[in-house]
Amino acid sequence: MENVDAYSSPAPPSAEADPVLTDSGSSDASSSEEHMPHHFDVPHLVVRLVQCQHCSRPLHSPLRLPCGNTVCRSCLPPARPRTGITYPVAEGREEGFTCYWEGTNNCVGEHCVGDCGVDVVLCNVLDLFQEELAFPMPDAEAQGQPDSAGRLVRWKVDQTGAKSVEAQNARLSQRGWISGLYLLAWEGRFPCNAMEVVYERSTESAEEQACQQHDRIRFQKLRDRLRAELDCQVCYSLILDPLTTPCGHTFCRKCVARVLDHTDLCPICRRKVGMPATIQSEPLNRTISKIIEYFFADQVASRREADAEDELGGDHETNLPLFVCTLSFPTMPTFLHIFEPRYRLMIRRVVDSGDGKFGMVMYNRRGREQADGLGSTAFMQYGTLLMVQRYELLPDGRSLVIATGVSRFKVLEASELDGYHVARTERVDDISLAEEERLEAMETAASAMPDPTQSATAEHPLDSMSTQDLLDLSRDFIRRQRQTGAPWLHPRVMLAYGPVPIDAARFPWWLASILPIAEEEKYPILSAMSVRERLKISARWTRELEARDW
Amino acid sequence: MALPKRIIKETERLMAEPYDYPHVPLTVFGASSDSLSLCISRVSGINAVPHEDNLRYFDVSIHGPAQSPYEGGIFRLELFLPDDYPMTPPKIRFLTKIYHPNIDRLGRICLDVLKNNWSPALQIRTILLSIQALLGAPNPDDPLANDVAQRWKDDEPAAIQTAKEWTRTHAMT
Repeated sequence: MENVDAYSSPAPPSAEADPVLTDSGSSDASSSEEHMPHHFDVPHLVVRLVQCQHCSRPLHSPLRLPCGNTVCRSCLPPARPRTGITYPVAEGREEGFTCYWEGTNNCVGEHCVGDCGVDVVLCNVLDLFQEELAFPMPDAEAQGQPDSAGRLVRWKVDQTGAKSVEAQNARLSQRGWISGLYLLAWEGRFPCNAMEVVYERSTESAEEQACQQHDRIRFQKLRDRLRAELDCQVCYSLILDPLTTPCGHTFCRKCVARVLDHTDLCPICRRKVGMPATIQSEPLNRTISKIIEYFFADQVASRREADAEDELGGDHETNLPLFVCTLSFPTMPTFLHIFEPRYRLMIRRVVDSGDGKFGMVMYNRRGREQADGLGSTAFMQYGTLLMVQRYELLPDGRSLVIATGVSRFKVLEASELDGYHVARTERVDDISLAEEERLEAMETAASAMPDPTQSATAEHPLDSMSTQDLLDLSRDFIRRQRQTGAPWLHPRVMLAYGPVPIDAARFPWWLASILPIAEEEKYPILSAMSVRERLKISARWTRELEARDW
Repeated sequence: MALPKRIIKETERLMAEPYDYPHVPLTVFGASSDSLSLCISRVSGINAVPHEDNLRYFDVSIHGPAQSPYEGGIFRLELFLPDDYPMTPPKIRFLTKIYHPNIDRLGRICLDVLKNNWSPALQIRTILLSIQALLGAPNPDDPLANDVAQRWKDDEPAAIQTAKEWTRTHAMT
């Protein structure tokens, strides 16, 4: 490769004027920090952000590739007809090419030309680079008189094929490293894989300072103007995890996911997005990611933090997302089909960033007044904390969820978040075992005296029965029902909810899950605070059912 | 729950839009949602002010576009941003009576971007501009108020005359 130095080299620089700014940046980091803001102690990294990985020039008419990389339109590999593909039929889908990044970075290798839209945000970004770096600064004072010979920059390039490292260098015609290098790249003379870049600083301190000042102004101005281009058009904040649609529009990954909950069209151009609902695995736009990370790392970090807080709002005691749907019970599974956009969002957040827990509360159909000053809420106050066991995302964004009841809670305060309810809750637990025993002893003793008003044939009053008898009463009922082949005890049901539990604490939850009675009737069992109480409720249900004509 | 950042930003931008009469001291009108501030004309002829107690609820005024039957009128609307805004469109309704084939007696508006063609890339401002444009270009072929649309098709000059009269009666007081 030719030596790109256009000017005849002067005598080799003295040791004192040698590398100050280096690629590794480690040895000289401290000294350079005194002179320059930390963010551009390596000017070529700024330029590299927008260099095409193929032609090394600043990207021109950049196309987004499905693998997250970007190339100039003119650098797109030759397209060839794709054969054997009949679906989906759309313009631009009949040609494909083999990607440069095949085999790396999640790239499947073959892309369809129709999926490589012009990257709109990146186009705007590149225009700014061009405007801010390619032209001389209008400020006459900052111009001054550049070094007659130009400033020298040296680097090494790994020659693939030759397996050798070649040293190259160039003199910059511009004052300031950033714009000098940018123009060098523009001319195609600065390879994007340059290593060990060394900037030779001027021996004159005045000249050196002017140069640094120059760089600083350029960088600041570029950064300020870039920021305005990097807002997501859905959330109006700095793009977080930039995802670019096949039509070339970039949004936060989470914003795309939320849009896809409602429609499959691009918010900006209304073309079909054609991305699977599993947007989580779609590669991010690497070029835009790097630009945002480079210029606005601090803002990205704070946004990410704020987002996490917004979505979950702290711990579950204070902000539990609520699914207003049905009754669920501890230890029992609940099967859900999630199709409403707001719950798609909620479940996704719960699964992605949470611990897989959310609250299930049933509708307050009759508009009953709830305790603790809640008023007539859309849901009943007592609910069950569920833990997602299986989450199956369907291709169209709906999902199937199997969740198991963990514990009970009552809602103390509720608000809304992006369309769904969140609540401050308090865990509801049973009374202690000692209390439980005391309760049983007390109740059975109180009714041990024979009541003369009670006829011998009447059913035992439930209060007088031992806890074990209460359990047996309901279990016997189940046994009889099974013998008559009751449809609600079909083997499929038993498979889903498990066999009849022997454990008195679990049995009522199992019964409540499968018993064919109205949810309103089942609701009181959620707030019962002892096993005995729940068994009494269970026994009452079974007696009522048995009294009915089946 | 905290107001989404997007709504805060949109509100800020709406409020920052320049007034038509820069000599009017803004302090006189302030940023309150009283009726006076809605009468001041912004350059765009649209003005939206959020309620203090519900920042998702806006009082809106739209100036009738020039060379339309609604010229000179100031039309009041209410606008509400639902919980899942911007995934779903804002809910908007005319409060001022208006004679228009695409706006019914209850003030409901027939406009595609308020329904199926909504996109999260649209915003309050662009929607209000669309409504303003709708005033300038009534579309009797896609009517919401059937009687008005029919009249518009049968006898356009008379319909326009009525629209002007309604504007004078209801939108200029």
